[in-house]
Amino acid sequence: MAYNSKTKKGLGNYYKATSRTMTKREWKGFKDTAYDFFRWLKLYGYMGLRLGKHPILMVKALFRYRWLVSFLTASNMVDKHTIGLRGQELRYTHEQFYSLICNSVDNLGLMLLRDRNLRPHSKQAEKLRNNTVMFDEMTPKLIMGGFPTLKWLDIAMLAVGMPSEIDQSANPYYIDVVEHFGLAPDLCPFPASESGVAVADDYPLVGKTYITSSMPCDGSLGQVAFMTRYFKDLPIFQITPPQRFKEEQVQDYAVKNLEKCIAFIEENYQVKWDWDAFWKACKMYNTEVECILNKWDVNSTDYPQVCNAALALHREYEFMGTGCLDPKFLKTDLKVDKMMKKGYELDKKNDANKPRHRAIVWACPAHYYTNFTYWAQHCWGVKTVVDMECMLSHHFIHVGDKKEAMIDLAKSYEKMMMRSHTNGGYQNSLDECWKMCERFNVNIVIMYDHVSCKNVGGLHGLFEDQARERGIHLIWVPHDLMDARTVSRREMREAFNKYMVNVFREEPLDPSLVDYEDTIAW
Amino acid sequence: MKDLKHMIYFEHLLQDANNELVREEKAEGKHPLGYTCFHVPEVLLNLEGCFSVRLRAPNMGSTEIATYYMANSACEYSRALLERSIEGNFKFMDALIGVDVCEPMNRCMENMEVLQIHDTKNEHFFRCYLDIPYSDDEDCVTHLTEQVSRKILKPLNENYGIDVSDASIRKAVVEFNEMCRVINEMGELRKEMNPVITGSEFHKIVLCSYVCPKNKIMPYLLETLEELKMREPDKKNKYKSRVVVVGSEIDDPGMIELIEESGALVVADRFCYGSIPGRSEIHLNDEEDALIQIVRKNLLDTECPRQCAEHKMKYRKDHVQELVEEYHADGAIYEQMKFCTYWSYERTLASHIMPAEYNIPVLSIDRPYRSAGSGQLRTRVQAFVESLEIKKIKAERLAKAQAGEVK
Repeated sequence: MAYNSKTKKGLGNYYKATSRTMTKREWKGFKDTAYDFFRWLKLYGYMGLRLGKHPILMVKALFRYRWLVSFLTASNMVDKHTIGLRGQELRYTHEQFYSLICNSVDNLGLMLLRDRNLRPHSKQAEKLRNNTVMFDEMTPKLIMGGFPTLKWLDIAMLAVGMPSEIDQSANPYYIDVVEHFGLAPDLCPFPASESGVAVADDYPLVGKTYITSSMPCDGSLGQVAFMTRYFKDLPIFQITPPQRFKEEQVQDYAVKNLEKCIAFIEENYQVKWDWDAFWKACKMYNTEVECILNKWDVNSTDYPQVCNAALALHREYEFMGTGCLDPKFLKTDLKVDKMMKKGYELDKKNDANKPRHRAIVWACPAHYYTNFTYWAQHCWGVKTVVDMECMLSHHFIHVGDKKEAMIDLAKSYEKMMMRSHTNGGYQNSLDECWKMCERFNVNIVIMYDHVSCKNVGGLHGLFEDQARERGIHLIWVPHDLMDARTVSRREMREAFNKYMVNVFREEPLDPSLVDYEDTIAW
Repeated sequence: MKDLKHMIYFEHLLQDANNELVREEKAEGKHPLGYTCFHVPEVLLNLEGCFSVRLRAPNMGSTEIATYYMANSACEYSRALLERSIEGNFKFMDALIGVDVCEPMNRCMENMEVLQIHDTKNEHFFRCYLDIPYSDDEDCVTHLTEQVSRKILKPLNENYGIDVSDASIRKAVVEFNEMCRVINEMGELRKEMNPVITGSEFHKIVLCSYVCPKNKIMPYLLETLEELKMREPDKKNKYKSRVVVVGSEIDDPGMIELIEESGALVVADRFCYGSIPGRSEIHLNDEEDALIQIVRKNLLDTECPRQCAEHKMKYRKDHVQELVEEYHADGAIYEQMKFCTYWSYERTLASHIMPAEYNIPVLSIDRPYRSAGSGQLRTRVQAFVESLEIKKIKAERLAKAQAGEVK
């Protein structure tokens, strides 16, 4: 534990009201501090290596795109999530975060070379663009496994998704832009930000077509109208999966929609869908699914291993950001899987690592700039063993069976992030929550109360009623996704503190974390 | 203008979802089927032996219980319906036909399901959630046809013995078209520069056609149409401008009254619970199943901003332009129910695109479920009317000046 009862100093003392960064690095003992420092060097080394190759373009991009500046604070994000961690847990977290930051950096590299805004007259950039597909955030990028000769980039994840996970000040500017444009302020900040980036003309133009989708919610669908207009000169395809995805009858429509998308790519890029390459991608996807299921299995036991944001954000990014097509993620998965099994055996043998409280995180998540679950662990001993965010797209794909594989692919992306629980009927959110409480043996649900979400908000009362019936502690933590001005991290913590003090009569493990000022911190 | 003979009765019918015509029809052994959304093909709920009731929550006051269940960011319409259902007003329904189109309405109906707001003694009661596709191509038609067959027609037949054959559907279409013809004939009168019917009168009549059994309301509609043909318009047109109202659900006649009291005559109603496109006739051919044709028409006609295909987005804007021209309107009012996600995006874009690219002045507003008492809304409509007047005066001056130059 990081709290020193003699000096009364703990992790909360690393934050300062006037600083965006932590005041100093945490001393974790020689071994762990050395490891921490090595990871820090490795991360910046990778960033330097990949982006340093294009120094002029990088500088141009930093002046052109406001959101890009947030990427420079990436190591701060890792620090936030590893502070207070020791031993195996520290290592899992570093591994998990490293792959997703590497992928973002790789994508930035691809963007720099292709972007028409940065290289308007470059023939080479034009050639690269002609071979690149642009994607919206919630789209089944796994189909690109069948087009090995094409490149693809998720521009929404680059400009909106990832910066918002790293830095709480990344998105409010774009939210303001779109609200000044006339959009109602009660809407979810995610699609609002995406629309705001379009209004501010801050998307990189890196491909010759754009694929968007209606997933996961009404807001996402709303922003499709903005994006379609923004890219009105480009061919656009919209993936529109069925809502009631548990019904077998709807899969036919879903598959046809997917096939049309494939045909759209074939037609626009004059390439043929390559089944062999797709099978290879599916094998990678299946292995990654196996790895996440292993993590859940281990976390269901008394000795959970890969928990909190390291579990959720990694999986979110693995499927959403990379479409399970980045071998780095697979490598990390296999490595962490091995480490985790070893860690589990060790903990079991020593009967160690039993958390004070076990919790699951449910509903639309607060973005990870909040570092909320690690805070709950360090402050109150509440360990998040699973997060709704990571319970996505865990449907195996039949390799070798073309017909079945397409149905599997459809079923997989129909259960994409958030969508797996917030679409297709209340049972997927409500009943599933209680099932997971049982499976993961928890009696606390950290219930993210996304104040702009009309979807989960619509089940608010039923959650309350049924939690009471079951004797489960629902701790509602308000947030506004990526707009910390509506609900700050401090207010989120305050809501949790009140429950722990008033209902559990609990003493904090680290009193310095109960209330500290980090309003301007990244 | 002289008051319409049945207007008070129409207003009376709009005071209660379970109004006296619904009660009479139910007492005669017919099955009332509740629904809310245009995406449910209304005609299929009006087969022999059953009838549709588009749900409303008239005179809704507080929605506190619904707000507990659905949070205060849900649209007020969905909360009002949930509140009213918890109060017990919707127990008369023999089925509830829902759609998975927008989150608040879907959650509203799911809350109704879990809270068991229907008459639990009716063991044949059924509910469903249609999975509505996002475009109108033939894959979408096939998908929705399967949904409608399985989730509406099958239980109607199995639970209530309703004849769902092609012949029965065609018969319902004939009756539906007759009603549409009457409504549209009234609507046509609004194209006159000094029409014999106001927007709020028309809206009340259209609302009645949604919430009452068709056979019971038809005699009143026919009589009103005849009366309108004979009605003398006011000698002096009291309205300063003419507008098309475009947007999300309006089932509150007070909203149209507010606009008209502010000086703008509502000449076309392109909103949910309006006559465009809800009262468009269905023309069937003999070659294809009636069901498929109905589903196709519904998908082609829908103007919900949830339909995100590029051609649908363009179609909606083009259609507003057509309506403005056809009904000689001076501008359009884009309105949305407060907290409606789809219409918020649509309205925002339209408020920029329509003036710039279609040269149509637009007032962009969001509004509460019950709007009549909103001073803020009234001021905004008044300001819009003034701006339209100023535009007209300027245009006249310019025309005169140009004519002078020519001379």
